[in-house]
Amino acid sequence: MRLAWLHLHSFRSYPALEWRPDPGVNILVGRNGAGKTNVLEAIGFLANLRSFRGAPEETLIAHNAETAVLRGEESDAQALVEVEITRKGGRRTRIGQKSIGRTSDLRSALRTVAFLPDDLDLVKGSPAGRRELLDDVATQIWPGAALDQAEFDRTLRQRNAFLKQGDRDPATLEVWDTRLAQAAAKVMGRRARAAAALEETLVESYGRIAGEETSVRFAYQSDWGGTLDPTTPASEWAKSLTGALRERRRLDFELRTTGSGPHRDDPAISLGGQGSRHQASQGEQRTLALALRLATHRAVSLQTDRLPLLLLDDVYSELDPDRSKALTDALPEAQTFVSTTRLDEVPVPGRAWQVSEGDIR
Amino acid sequence: MFEGPLQRLIDELARLPGVGRKSAQRMAFHLLGVEREDALRLSSAIVDMRDQLRICSRCYNVTASEECTICRDSKRDQTVVCVVERAQDIAVIERTQEFRGRYHVLGGAISPIGGIGPSQLRIAELGKRIEDEGIMELILATNPTVEGDVTAMYIAREMKPRGVRVTRLAMGLPVGGDLDYADELTLGRALAGRSEL
Ligand SMILES: Nc1ncnc2c1ncn2[C@@H]1O[C@H](COP(=O)(O)OP(=O)(O)OP(=O)(O)O)[C@@H](O)[C@H]1O
Ligand SMILES: [Mg+2]
Ligand SMILES: [Zn+2]
Repeated sequence: MRLAWLHLHSFRSYPALEWRPDPGVNILVGRNGAGKTNVLEAIGFLANLRSFRGAPEETLIAHNAETAVLRGEESDAQALVEVEITRKGGRRTRIGQKSIGRTSDLRSALRTVAFLPDDLDLVKGSPAGRRELLDDVATQIWPGAALDQAEFDRTLRQRNAFLKQGDRDPATLEVWDTRLAQAAAKVMGRRARAAAALEETLVESYGRIAGEETSVRFAYQSDWGGTLDPTTPASEWAKSLTGALRERRRLDFELRTTGSGPHRDDPAISLGGQGSRHQASQGEQRTLALALRLATHRAVSLQTDRLPLLLLDDVYSELDPDRSKALTDALPEAQTFVSTTRLDEVPVPGRAWQVSEGDIR
Repeated sequence: MFEGPLQRLIDELARLPGVGRKSAQRMAFHLLGVEREDALRLSSAIVDMRDQLRICSRCYNVTASEECTICRDSKRDQTVVCVVERAQDIAVIERTQEFRGRYHVLGGAISPIGGIGPSQLRIAELGKRIEDEGIMELILATNPTVEGDVTAMYIAREMKPRGVRVTRLAMGLPVGGDLDYADELTLGRALAGRSEL
Protein backbone atom coordinates (compact mmCIF):
# COMPACT_ATOMS: atom_id res chain seq x y z
CA MET A 1 0.00 0.00 0.00
CA ARG A 2 1.18 3.52 -0.80
CA LEU A 3 -0.36 6.85 -0.01
CA ALA A 4 0.11 8.83 -3.23
CA TRP A 5 -1.18 12.11 -1.85
CA LEU A 6 -2.87 13.59 1.17
CA HIS A 7 -5.18 16.60 1.27
CA LEU A 8 -6.29 18.11 4.57
CA HIS A 9 -8.78 20.91 5.04
CA SER A 10 -9.30 22.42 8.49
CA PHE A 11 -7.79 19.38 10.13
CA ARG A 12 -6.15 20.37 13.45
CA SER A 13 -3.31 22.83 12.67
CA TYR A 14 -3.73 22.44 8.88
CA PRO A 15 -6.07 24.96 7.19
CA ALA A 16 -5.26 23.53 3.75
CA LEU A 17 -2.56 20.98 3.03
CA GLU A 18 -1.80 19.31 -0.26
CA TRP A 19 1.05 16.89 0.11
CA ARG A 20 2.63 14.19 -2.08
CA PRO A 21 4.73 11.99 0.19
CA ASP A 22 7.56 9.81 -1.05
CA PRO A 23 6.62 6.17 -1.71
CA GLY A 24 9.48 5.12 0.58
CA VAL A 25 10.49 6.65 3.91
CA ASN A 26 9.24 10.13 4.85
CA ILE A 27 10.86 11.92 7.77
CA LEU A 28 8.82 14.81 9.14
CA VAL A 29 11.05 17.28 10.96
CA GLY A 30 9.85 20.24 12.99
CA ARG A 31 9.90 21.85 16.42
CA ASN A 32 7.49 20.90 19.20
CA GLY A 33 3.93 21.77 18.23
CA ALA A 34 4.80 22.14 14.54
CA GLY A 35 2.12 19.65 13.48
CA LYS A 36 4.10 16.44 12.86
CA THR A 37 1.91 14.14 14.91
CA ASN A 38 -1.16 15.79 13.39
CA VAL A 39 -0.15 14.52 9.94
CA LEU A 40 0.46 10.98 11.14
CA GLU A 41 -2.83 11.14 13.00
CA ALA A 42 -4.60 12.21 9.79
CA ILE A 43 -3.18 9.26 7.86
CA GLY A 44 -4.19 6.94 10.69
CA PHE A 45 -7.66 8.45 10.71
CA LEU A 46 -8.14 7.85 6.99
CA ALA A 47 -7.39 4.18 7.59
CA ASN A 48 -9.17 3.58 10.88
CA LEU A 49 -11.73 6.39 11.32
CA ARG A 50 -10.25 6.87 14.75
CA SER A 51 -7.49 8.99 16.24
CA PHE A 52 -4.52 6.95 17.42
CA ARG A 53 -4.22 9.49 20.23
CA GLY A 54 -7.71 8.51 21.32
CA ALA A 55 -8.80 12.11 20.70
CA PRO A 56 -12.53 12.84 20.42
CA GLU A 57 -13.56 13.56 16.84
CA GLU A 58 -14.48 17.22 17.29
CA THR A 59 -11.00 18.05 18.57
CA LEU A 60 -9.66 17.13 15.12
CA ILE A 61 -11.53 19.99 13.47
CA ALA A 62 -9.48 23.21 13.23
CA HIS A 63 -10.53 25.70 15.91
CA ASN A 64 -12.06 28.20 13.52
CA ALA A 65 -13.88 25.68 11.27
CA GLU A 66 -17.09 23.63 11.32
CA THR A 67 -15.93 20.68 9.25
CA ALA A 68 -12.66 18.94 8.59
CA VAL A 69 -12.01 17.08 5.36
CA LEU A 70 -9.35 14.40 4.89
CA ARG A 71 -8.64 12.97 1.47
CA GLY A 72 -6.03 10.56 0.21
CA GLU A 73 -5.27 8.18 -2.57
CA GLU A 74 -3.87 4.71 -2.12
CA SER A 75 -1.93 4.16 -5.33
CA ASP A 76 -1.72 0.32 -5.59
CA ALA A 77 -5.48 -0.13 -5.79
CA GLN A 78 -6.08 3.49 -6.84
CA ALA A 79 -8.57 3.89 -4.04
CA LEU A 80 -9.62 7.43 -3.24
CA VAL A 81 -10.58 7.71 0.41
CA GLU A 82 -12.43 10.74 1.76
CA VAL A 83 -13.64 11.49 5.26
CA GLU A 84 -15.57 14.52 6.44
CA ILE A 85 -15.95 15.24 10.15
CA THR A 86 -18.47 17.75 11.46
CA ARG A 87 -18.90 19.31 14.88
CA LYS A 88 -22.40 17.85 15.23
CA GLY A 89 -20.83 14.39 15.17
CA GLY A 90 -21.96 13.54 11.67
CA ARG A 91 -19.25 11.81 9.69
CA ARG A 92 -19.22 11.01 6.00
CA THR A 93 -16.89 8.47 4.50
CA ARG A 94 -16.41 7.65 0.86
CA ILE A 95 -14.21 5.36 -1.15
CA GLY A 96 -14.18 6.58 -4.74
CA GLN A 97 -17.77 7.57 -5.51
CA LYS A 98 -19.23 5.12 -3.03
CA SER A 99 -20.48 6.17 0.36
CA ILE A 100 -19.62 3.68 3.06
CA GLY A 101 -21.13 3.22 6.47
CA ARG A 102 -18.79 0.81 8.14
CA THR A 103 -15.16 1.00 9.17
CA SER A 104 -14.63 -2.53 7.91
CA ASP A 105 -15.07 -1.43 4.29
CA LEU A 106 -12.37 1.15 4.74
CA ARG A 107 -9.81 -1.25 6.11
CA SER A 108 -9.25 -2.98 2.81
CA ALA A 109 -8.40 0.35 1.15
CA LEU A 110 -5.82 1.60 3.61
CA ARG A 111 -4.13 0.00 6.61
CA THR A 112 -1.68 1.50 9.09
CA VAL A 113 0.45 0.25 11.95
CA ALA A 114 1.50 3.01 14.32
CA PHE A 115 4.44 3.10 16.75
CA LEU A 116 3.47 5.60 19.41
CA PRO A 117 5.32 7.32 22.28
CA ASP A 118 3.11 5.58 24.87
CA ASP A 119 3.56 2.09 23.49
CA LEU A 120 5.32 0.96 26.65
CA ASP A 121 1.84 0.92 28.21
CA LEU A 122 0.96 -2.01 25.97
CA VAL A 123 3.30 -4.09 28.09
CA LYS A 124 3.29 -2.28 31.45
CA GLY A 125 -0.24 -0.99 31.48
CA SER A 126 -3.63 -2.45 32.23
CA PRO A 127 -5.17 -5.25 30.13
CA ALA A 128 -7.36 -2.74 28.25
CA GLY A 129 -4.46 -1.70 26.01
CA ARG A 130 -3.68 -5.30 25.07
CA ARG A 131 -7.34 -6.05 24.39
CA GLU A 132 -7.43 -3.03 22.11
CA LEU A 133 -4.28 -4.21 20.34
CA LEU A 134 -5.84 -7.62 19.66
CA ASP A 135 -9.10 -6.06 18.49
CA ASP A 136 -7.14 -3.78 16.20
CA VAL A 137 -5.13 -6.67 14.71
CA ALA A 138 -8.37 -8.63 14.26
CA THR A 139 -10.09 -5.81 12.36
CA GLN A 140 -7.04 -5.31 10.16
CA ILE A 141 -7.05 -8.97 9.20
CA TRP A 142 -10.76 -9.84 9.20
CA PRO A 143 -13.09 -7.07 8.01
CA GLY A 144 -16.02 -8.64 9.87
CA ALA A 145 -14.30 -8.27 13.25
CA ALA A 146 -15.34 -4.62 13.60
CA LEU A 147 -19.00 -5.63 13.34
CA ASP A 148 -18.53 -8.32 15.97
CA GLN A 149 -16.93 -5.82 18.33
CA ALA A 150 -19.70 -3.28 17.80
CA GLU A 151 -22.30 -5.97 18.39
CA PHE A 152 -20.65 -7.07 21.63
CA ASP A 153 -20.28 -3.46 22.90
CA ARG A 154 -23.92 -2.77 22.18
CA THR A 155 -25.12 -5.94 23.89
CA LEU A 156 -22.93 -5.28 26.93
CA ARG A 157 -24.27 -1.73 27.25
CA GLN A 158 -27.83 -3.06 27.04
CA ARG A 159 -27.23 -5.72 29.69
CA ASN A 160 -25.60 -3.15 31.99
CA ALA A 161 -28.52 -0.77 31.45
CA PHE A 162 -30.84 -3.62 32.39
CA LEU A 163 -28.87 -4.28 35.60
CA LYS A 164 -28.99 -0.59 36.48
CA GLN A 165 -32.78 -0.46 36.13
CA GLY A 166 -33.10 -2.60 39.22
CA ASP A 167 -35.73 -4.75 37.44
CA ARG A 168 -34.87 -8.33 38.38
CA ASP A 169 -37.05 -10.14 35.87
CA PRO A 170 -35.10 -13.39 35.36
CA ALA A 171 -36.63 -14.13 31.93
CA THR A 172 -35.32 -10.86 30.48
CA LEU A 173 -31.89 -11.30 32.06
CA GLU A 174 -31.72 -14.83 30.69
CA VAL A 175 -32.14 -13.64 27.08
CA TRP A 176 -29.59 -10.86 27.53
CA ASP A 177 -27.15 -13.44 28.93
CA THR A 178 -27.66 -15.74 25.98
CA ARG A 179 -27.26 -12.91 23.47
CA LEU A 180 -24.22 -11.48 25.26
CA ALA A 181 -22.55 -14.88 25.30
CA GLN A 182 -23.16 -15.29 21.54
CA ALA A 183 -21.62 -11.90 20.78
CA ALA A 184 -18.79 -12.43 23.27
CA ALA A 185 -17.84 -15.79 21.78
CA LYS A 186 -17.26 -14.17 18.39
CA VAL A 187 -15.03 -11.45 19.88
CA MET A 188 -13.08 -13.94 21.98
CA GLY A 189 -12.53 -16.20 19.00
CA ARG A 190 -11.16 -13.31 16.95
CA ARG A 191 -8.87 -12.20 19.78
CA ALA A 192 -7.54 -15.69 20.37
CA ARG A 193 -6.75 -16.05 16.67
CA ALA A 194 -5.20 -12.57 16.55
CA ALA A 195 -3.01 -13.46 19.54
CA ALA A 196 -1.94 -16.66 17.80
CA ALA A 197 -1.10 -14.75 14.62
CA LEU A 198 0.95 -12.24 16.62
CA GLU A 199 2.70 -14.91 18.65
CA GLU A 200 3.90 -16.56 15.46
CA THR A 201 5.89 -13.50 14.43
CA LEU A 202 6.63 -12.12 17.90
CA VAL A 203 9.61 -14.35 18.69
CA GLU A 204 11.39 -13.25 15.55
CA SER A 205 10.49 -9.56 16.00
CA TYR A 206 11.63 -9.61 19.61
CA GLY A 207 14.84 -11.41 18.72
CA ARG A 208 15.70 -8.86 16.06
CA ILE A 209 15.51 -5.97 18.49
CA ALA A 210 16.92 -7.71 21.56
CA GLY A 211 19.71 -9.32 19.52
CA GLU A 212 19.09 -12.70 21.13
CA GLU A 213 16.54 -15.51 20.98
CA THR A 214 13.99 -15.50 23.78
CA SER A 215 10.73 -17.35 24.02
CA VAL A 216 7.74 -15.01 23.78
CA ARG A 217 4.20 -16.22 24.33
CA PHE A 218 1.00 -14.29 23.75
CA ALA A 219 -1.93 -16.04 25.38
CA TYR A 220 -5.49 -14.85 25.41
CA GLN A 221 -6.86 -15.46 28.88
CA SER A 222 -10.25 -14.98 30.40
CA ASP A 223 -10.84 -14.74 34.12
CA TRP A 224 -13.44 -17.50 34.06
CA GLY A 225 -12.30 -19.84 31.30
CA GLY A 226 -8.52 -19.82 31.66
CA THR A 227 -6.37 -19.70 28.56
CA LEU A 228 -8.45 -19.86 25.42
CA ASP A 229 -7.34 -22.09 22.62
CA PRO A 230 -7.96 -20.45 19.22
CA THR A 231 -9.32 -23.72 17.80
CA THR A 232 -12.15 -23.95 20.33
CA PRO A 233 -15.50 -23.52 18.56
CA ALA A 234 -17.48 -20.37 19.40
CA SER A 235 -20.38 -22.40 20.78
CA GLU A 236 -18.08 -23.79 23.52
CA TRP A 237 -17.08 -20.30 24.61
CA ALA A 238 -20.64 -19.10 24.53
CA LYS A 239 -21.59 -22.00 26.80
CA SER A 240 -18.77 -21.36 29.25
CA LEU A 241 -19.52 -17.62 29.42
CA THR A 242 -23.25 -18.29 29.90
CA GLY A 243 -22.26 -20.44 32.88
CA ALA A 244 -19.98 -17.74 34.26
CA LEU A 245 -22.69 -15.10 33.86
CA ARG A 246 -25.20 -17.29 35.67
CA GLU A 247 -22.79 -17.88 38.54
CA ARG A 248 -22.13 -14.16 38.95
CA ARG A 249 -25.76 -13.12 38.58
CA ARG A 250 -26.29 -12.10 42.18
CA LEU A 251 -23.06 -10.09 42.24
CA ASP A 252 -23.86 -8.45 38.89
CA PHE A 253 -27.24 -7.33 40.22
CA GLU A 254 -25.58 -5.94 43.32
CA LEU A 255 -22.83 -4.09 41.44
CA ARG A 256 -25.21 -3.25 38.59
CA THR A 257 -22.63 -4.12 35.97
CA THR A 258 -21.41 -7.16 34.06
CA GLY A 259 -18.41 -8.66 35.83
CA SER A 260 -17.40 -11.38 33.36
CA GLY A 261 -16.78 -11.29 29.66
CA PRO A 262 -14.28 -10.30 27.01
CA HIS A 263 -14.33 -6.73 28.36
CA ARG A 264 -12.57 -8.05 31.48
CA ASP A 265 -10.15 -10.46 29.85
CA ASP A 266 -6.40 -10.16 30.26
CA PRO A 267 -4.32 -11.04 27.22
CA ALA A 268 -0.95 -11.84 28.76
CA ILE A 269 2.50 -11.75 27.19
CA SER A 270 5.26 -13.79 28.75
CA LEU A 271 8.96 -13.42 28.16
CA GLY A 272 11.25 -16.36 28.80
CA GLY A 273 8.45 -18.03 30.70
CA GLN A 274 7.74 -15.05 32.98
CA GLY A 275 4.95 -12.49 32.93
CA SER A 276 6.13 -9.38 31.09
CA ARG A 277 3.86 -6.87 32.83
CA HIS A 278 5.24 -7.25 36.34
CA GLN A 279 8.44 -9.22 35.97
CA ALA A 280 10.31 -8.05 32.88
CA SER A 281 12.92 -5.28 33.15
CA GLN A 282 12.27 -1.80 31.81
CA GLY A 283 14.56 -2.47 28.84
CA GLU A 284 12.89 -5.79 28.04
CA GLN A 285 9.50 -4.12 28.21
CA ARG A 286 10.59 -1.41 25.81
CA THR A 287 11.94 -4.02 23.38
CA LEU A 288 8.73 -6.00 23.68
CA ALA A 289 6.62 -2.93 22.92
CA LEU A 290 8.54 -2.34 19.69
CA ALA A 291 8.36 -6.06 18.86
CA LEU A 292 4.57 -6.02 19.29
CA ARG A 293 4.19 -3.31 16.64
CA LEU A 294 6.62 -5.03 14.29
CA ALA A 295 4.81 -8.32 14.80
CA THR A 296 1.49 -6.61 14.10
CA HIS A 297 2.82 -5.30 10.81
CA ARG A 298 4.21 -8.70 9.90
CA ALA A 299 1.08 -10.62 10.87
CA VAL A 300 -1.21 -8.25 8.97
CA SER A 301 1.03 -8.34 5.88
CA LEU A 302 1.14 -12.14 5.92
CA GLN A 303 -2.61 -12.53 6.35
CA THR A 304 -3.72 -9.85 3.90
CA ASP A 305 -0.90 -9.93 1.39
CA ARG A 306 -0.56 -6.13 1.50
CA LEU A 307 1.97 -4.02 3.38
CA PRO A 308 0.29 -1.56 5.77
CA LEU A 309 1.78 1.93 6.05
CA LEU A 310 4.11 2.45 9.01
CA LEU A 311 3.63 5.46 11.25
CA LEU A 312 6.46 6.15 13.73
CA ASP A 313 5.55 9.01 16.00
CA ASP A 314 8.53 10.41 17.89
CA VAL A 315 9.79 6.89 18.57
CA TYR A 316 13.53 7.36 18.18
CA SER A 317 13.95 10.01 20.90
CA GLU A 318 13.05 7.34 23.48
CA LEU A 319 15.51 4.69 22.25
CA ASP A 320 19.14 4.04 23.09
CA PRO A 321 21.50 3.77 20.08
CA ASP A 322 21.46 -0.05 20.04
CA ARG A 323 17.69 -0.40 19.94
CA SER A 324 17.47 2.51 17.57
CA LYS A 325 19.70 0.71 15.09
CA ALA A 326 18.03 -2.67 15.65
CA LEU A 327 14.58 -1.18 15.00
CA THR A 328 15.82 0.48 11.84
CA ASP A 329 17.26 -2.81 10.56
CA ALA A 330 14.04 -4.64 11.39
CA LEU A 331 11.64 -2.19 9.69
CA PRO A 332 9.81 -3.74 6.73
CA GLU A 333 9.85 -2.33 3.20
CA ALA A 334 6.58 -0.45 3.64
CA GLN A 335 5.85 3.21 2.99
CA THR A 336 6.91 4.85 6.23
CA PHE A 337 6.20 8.13 8.02
CA VAL A 338 8.55 9.14 10.84
CA SER A 339 8.18 12.24 12.99
CA THR A 340 11.07 13.82 14.87
CA THR A 341 12.28 17.14 16.25
CA ARG A 342 15.86 16.33 15.24
CA LEU A 343 16.75 14.78 11.91
CA ASP A 344 20.06 13.40 13.26
CA GLU A 345 18.09 11.27 15.74
CA VAL A 346 16.58 9.18 12.95
CA PRO A 347 18.95 6.55 11.57
CA VAL A 348 16.62 5.56 8.71
CA PRO A 349 17.55 6.96 5.30
CA GLY A 350 14.62 8.71 3.70
CA ARG A 351 13.22 11.92 2.34
CA ALA A 352 13.26 14.72 4.93
CA TRP A 353 10.39 17.19 5.09
CA GLN A 354 10.16 20.44 7.06
CA VAL A 355 6.92 20.82 8.97
CA SER A 356 5.84 24.31 10.02
CA GLU A 357 2.89 26.67 9.98
CA GLY A 358 0.40 24.27 8.48
CA ASP A 359 2.63 23.19 5.64
CA ILE A 360 5.05 20.41 4.72
CA ARG A 361 7.98 21.20 2.40
CA MET B 1 -33.64 33.55 10.41
CA PHE B 2 -36.62 34.02 8.01
CA GLU B 3 -39.99 35.81 8.24
CA GLY B 4 -42.27 34.28 10.90
CA PRO B 5 -44.52 31.89 8.89
CA LEU B 6 -41.69 30.68 6.65
CA GLN B 7 -39.43 29.98 9.63
CA ARG B 8 -42.30 28.19 11.38
CA LEU B 9 -42.73 25.84 8.42
CA ILE B 10 -38.97 25.20 8.19
CA ASP B 11 -38.90 24.36 11.90
CA GLU B 12 -41.83 21.94 11.53
CA LEU B 13 -40.34 20.20 8.49
CA ALA B 14 -36.94 19.89 10.13
CA ARG B 15 -38.56 17.89 12.95
CA LEU B 16 -39.46 15.11 10.51
CA PRO B 17 -37.21 12.05 10.52
CA GLY B 18 -34.43 12.17 7.93
CA VAL B 19 -34.97 15.87 7.18
CA GLY B 20 -32.12 18.22 8.03
CA ARG B 21 -32.02 22.01 8.16
CA LYS B 22 -31.00 22.33 4.54
CA SER B 23 -33.63 20.06 3.03
CA ALA B 24 -36.28 21.64 5.26
CA GLN B 25 -35.37 25.02 3.77
CA ARG B 26 -35.46 23.64 0.26
CA MET B 27 -38.90 22.12 0.82
CA ALA B 28 -40.24 25.30 2.41
CA PHE B 29 -39.05 27.46 -0.48
CA HIS B 30 -40.56 24.99 -2.93
CA LEU B 31 -43.92 25.17 -1.10
CA LEU B 32 -43.69 28.97 -1.17
CA GLY B 33 -44.08 28.73 -4.93
CA VAL B 34 -47.01 26.27 -5.20
CA GLU B 35 -50.68 27.12 -5.87
CA ARG B 36 -52.91 27.62 -2.85
CA GLU B 37 -54.96 24.50 -3.67
CA ASP B 38 -51.84 22.33 -3.86
CA ALA B 39 -50.81 23.62 -0.46
CA LEU B 40 -54.30 22.86 0.88
CA ARG B 41 -54.19 19.34 -0.56
CA LEU B 42 -50.97 18.64 1.28
CA SER B 43 -52.08 20.12 4.56
CA SER B 44 -55.46 18.35 4.50
CA ALA B 45 -53.78 15.03 3.63
CA ILE B 46 -51.77 15.38 6.81
CA VAL B 47 -54.77 16.34 8.94
CA ASP B 48 -57.04 13.65 7.38
CA MET B 49 -54.51 10.98 8.03
CA ARG B 50 -54.22 12.12 11.61
CA ASP B 51 -58.03 12.23 12.09
CA GLN B 52 -59.10 9.16 10.17
CA LEU B 53 -56.43 6.59 10.87
CA ARG B 54 -56.25 4.49 13.96
CA ILE B 55 -54.67 1.33 15.21
CA CYS B 56 -56.10 -2.06 14.20
CA SER B 57 -57.73 -3.60 17.26
CA ARG B 58 -56.36 -7.03 16.39
CA CYS B 59 -52.84 -6.63 15.03
CA TYR B 60 -52.01 -2.96 15.80
CA ASN B 61 -51.39 -2.13 12.15
CA VAL B 62 -52.51 1.29 10.93
CA THR B 63 -56.09 1.24 9.63
CA ALA B 64 -59.02 3.41 8.64
CA SER B 65 -61.57 1.08 10.27
CA GLU B 66 -61.84 -1.09 13.37
CA GLU B 67 -59.67 -3.81 11.84
CA CYS B 68 -57.08 -3.43 9.09
CA THR B 69 -57.57 -4.81 5.56
CA ILE B 70 -55.16 -7.68 6.22
CA CYS B 71 -57.01 -8.84 9.32
CA ARG B 72 -60.34 -8.55 7.48
CA ASP B 73 -59.11 -10.58 4.47
CA SER B 74 -60.65 -14.03 4.99
CA LYS B 75 -58.40 -15.60 2.36
CA ARG B 76 -55.34 -15.06 4.52
CA ASP B 77 -54.06 -17.84 6.74
CA GLN B 78 -55.25 -17.12 10.27
CA THR B 79 -53.01 -19.69 11.90
CA VAL B 80 -49.72 -17.99 10.99
CA VAL B 81 -48.74 -14.62 12.45
CA CYS B 82 -45.70 -12.59 11.49
CA VAL B 83 -44.43 -10.48 14.42
CA VAL B 84 -42.83 -7.13 13.51
CA GLU B 85 -41.48 -4.20 15.51
CA ARG B 86 -43.29 -1.39 13.69
CA ALA B 87 -46.33 -1.02 11.44
CA GLN B 88 -44.17 0.14 8.53
CA ASP B 89 -42.37 -3.22 8.53
CA ILE B 90 -45.63 -4.82 7.36
CA ALA B 91 -45.40 -3.03 4.02
CA VAL B 92 -41.84 -4.31 3.51
CA ILE B 93 -42.88 -7.91 4.07
CA GLU B 94 -46.07 -7.54 2.01
CA ARG B 95 -43.96 -6.45 -0.95
CA THR B 96 -42.18 -9.82 -0.99
CA GLN B 97 -45.50 -11.55 -1.83
CA GLU B 98 -44.22 -14.55 0.13
CA PHE B 99 -46.36 -14.26 3.22
CA ARG B 100 -50.09 -15.01 3.38
CA GLY B 101 -50.74 -14.94 7.11
CA ARG B 102 -51.54 -12.08 9.47
CA TYR B 103 -49.35 -9.72 11.48
CA HIS B 104 -48.72 -8.53 15.00
CA VAL B 105 -47.07 -5.16 15.63
CA LEU B 106 -45.05 -5.07 18.86
CA GLY B 107 -44.48 -1.34 18.95
CA GLY B 108 -40.69 -1.57 19.25
CA ALA B 109 -38.04 -3.87 20.64
CA ILE B 110 -36.64 -4.59 24.09
CA SER B 111 -34.02 -1.96 24.90
CA PRO B 112 -33.01 -1.23 28.50
CA ILE B 113 -31.03 1.79 27.24
CA GLY B 114 -34.25 3.19 25.79
CA GLY B 115 -36.17 2.17 28.90
CA ILE B 116 -38.20 -0.41 26.99
CA GLY B 117 -38.91 -3.73 28.64
CA PRO B 118 -41.25 -6.56 27.59
CA SER B 119 -44.20 -4.94 29.36
CA GLN B 120 -43.93 -1.81 27.19
CA LEU B 121 -44.37 -3.98 24.09
CA ARG B 122 -47.52 -5.78 22.93
CA ILE B 123 -46.28 -9.18 24.04
CA ALA B 124 -49.09 -9.94 26.49
CA GLU B 125 -51.54 -9.03 23.68
CA LEU B 126 -49.76 -11.53 21.45
CA GLY B 127 -50.18 -14.23 24.10
CA LYS B 128 -53.87 -13.49 24.27
CA ARG B 129 -54.22 -13.73 20.49
CA ILE B 130 -52.56 -17.15 20.52
CA GLU B 131 -55.20 -18.34 22.95
CA ASP B 132 -58.14 -16.64 21.20
CA GLU B 133 -57.37 -17.14 17.51
CA GLY B 134 -55.97 -20.64 17.20
CA ILE B 135 -52.59 -19.36 16.02
CA MET B 136 -50.18 -22.24 15.32
CA GLU B 137 -47.05 -20.52 14.09
CA LEU B 138 -45.26 -17.27 14.90
CA ILE B 139 -42.70 -15.91 12.46
CA LEU B 140 -40.53 -13.43 14.32
CA ALA B 141 -39.49 -10.68 11.92
CA THR B 142 -37.96 -8.24 14.38
CA ASN B 143 -34.99 -6.22 13.07
CA PRO B 144 -31.64 -8.01 12.74
CA THR B 145 -30.22 -5.91 15.58
CA VAL B 146 -29.13 -6.96 19.04
CA GLU B 147 -32.42 -5.56 20.38
CA GLY B 148 -34.49 -7.32 17.71
CA ASP B 149 -32.74 -10.61 18.44
CA VAL B 150 -33.31 -10.35 22.17
CA THR B 151 -36.97 -9.49 21.63
CA ALA B 152 -37.35 -12.54 19.39
CA MET B 153 -35.61 -14.76 21.95
CA TYR B 154 -37.84 -13.43 24.71
CA ILE B 155 -41.01 -14.02 22.72
CA ALA B 156 -39.86 -17.52 21.78
CA ARG B 157 -39.30 -18.35 25.45
CA GLU B 158 -42.69 -17.03 26.44
CA MET B 159 -44.78 -18.44 23.61
CA LYS B 160 -43.31 -21.87 22.91
CA PRO B 161 -44.78 -23.38 26.09
CA ARG B 162 -48.20 -22.47 24.66
CA GLY B 163 -47.68 -25.01 21.93
CA VAL B 164 -47.02 -22.71 18.94
CA ARG B 165 -44.24 -23.22 16.46
CA VAL B 166 -41.84 -20.26 16.65
CA THR B 167 -39.49 -19.35 13.80
CA ARG B 168 -37.17 -16.43 13.15
CA LEU B 169 -36.37 -14.88 9.78
CA ALA B 170 -33.12 -16.27 8.48
CA MET B 171 -31.28 -13.04 7.85
CA GLY B 172 -28.66 -12.83 5.19
CA LEU B 173 -28.14 -9.37 6.63
CA PRO B 174 -25.44 -8.41 9.09
CA VAL B 175 -26.54 -7.65 12.63
CA GLY B 176 -26.99 -3.93 12.99
CA GLY B 177 -29.18 -3.49 9.92
CA ASP B 178 -32.74 -2.29 9.66
CA LEU B 179 -35.54 -4.28 8.08
CA ASP B 180 -36.39 -1.14 6.09
CA TYR B 181 -33.16 -1.30 4.14
CA ALA B 182 -33.45 -4.91 3.02
CA ASP B 183 -34.44 -5.37 -0.59
CA GLU B 184 -37.38 -7.58 -1.49
CA LEU B 185 -35.23 -10.40 -2.83
CA THR B 186 -33.18 -10.74 0.35
CA LEU B 187 -36.27 -10.58 2.52
CA GLY B 188 -38.11 -13.09 0.36
CA ARG B 189 -35.29 -15.54 0.72
CA ALA B 190 -35.09 -14.87 4.43
CA LEU B 191 -38.78 -15.71 4.76
CA ALA B 192 -38.37 -18.93 2.82
CA GLY B 193 -35.33 -19.98 4.86
CA ARG B 194 -36.64 -19.09 8.32
CA SER B 195 -35.37 -21.19 11.19
CA GLU B 196 -36.81 -22.71 14.35
CA LEU B 197 -36.09 -20.96 17.68
N1 LIG C 1 -8.24 21.36 16.44
C1 LIG C 1 -7.13 22.11 16.29
N2 LIG C 1 -7.17 23.28 15.62
C2 LIG C 1 -6.05 24.03 15.49
N3 LIG C 1 -4.85 23.68 15.97
C3 LIG C 1 -4.75 22.52 16.63
C4 LIG C 1 -5.87 21.68 16.83
N4 LIG C 1 -5.48 20.59 17.52
C5 LIG C 1 -4.17 20.76 17.76
N5 LIG C 1 -3.73 21.91 17.23
C6 LIG C 1 -2.36 22.44 17.30
O1 LIG C 1 -1.48 21.50 16.75
C7 LIG C 1 -0.26 21.58 17.48
C8 LIG C 1 0.18 20.19 17.88
O2 LIG C 1 0.59 19.55 16.75
P1 LIG C 1 1.33 18.16 16.87
O3 LIG C 1 0.81 17.38 18.00
O4 LIG C 1 1.28 17.57 15.53
O5 LIG C 1 2.79 18.65 17.23
P2 LIG C 1 4.14 17.91 16.97
O6 LIG C 1 4.79 18.54 15.81
O7 LIG C 1 3.90 16.45 16.94
O8 LIG C 1 4.90 18.32 18.30
P3 LIG C 1 5.79 17.45 19.30
O9 LIG C 1 7.17 17.45 18.73
O10 LIG C 1 5.73 18.24 20.56
O11 LIG C 1 5.19 16.10 19.42
C9 LIG C 1 -0.49 22.36 18.73
O12 LIG C 1 0.24 23.55 18.66
C10 LIG C 1 -1.96 22.62 18.74
O13 LIG C 1 -2.25 23.92 19.17
MG1 LIG D 1 4.20 14.90 18.28
ZN1 LIG E 1 -54.90 -5.86 11.65
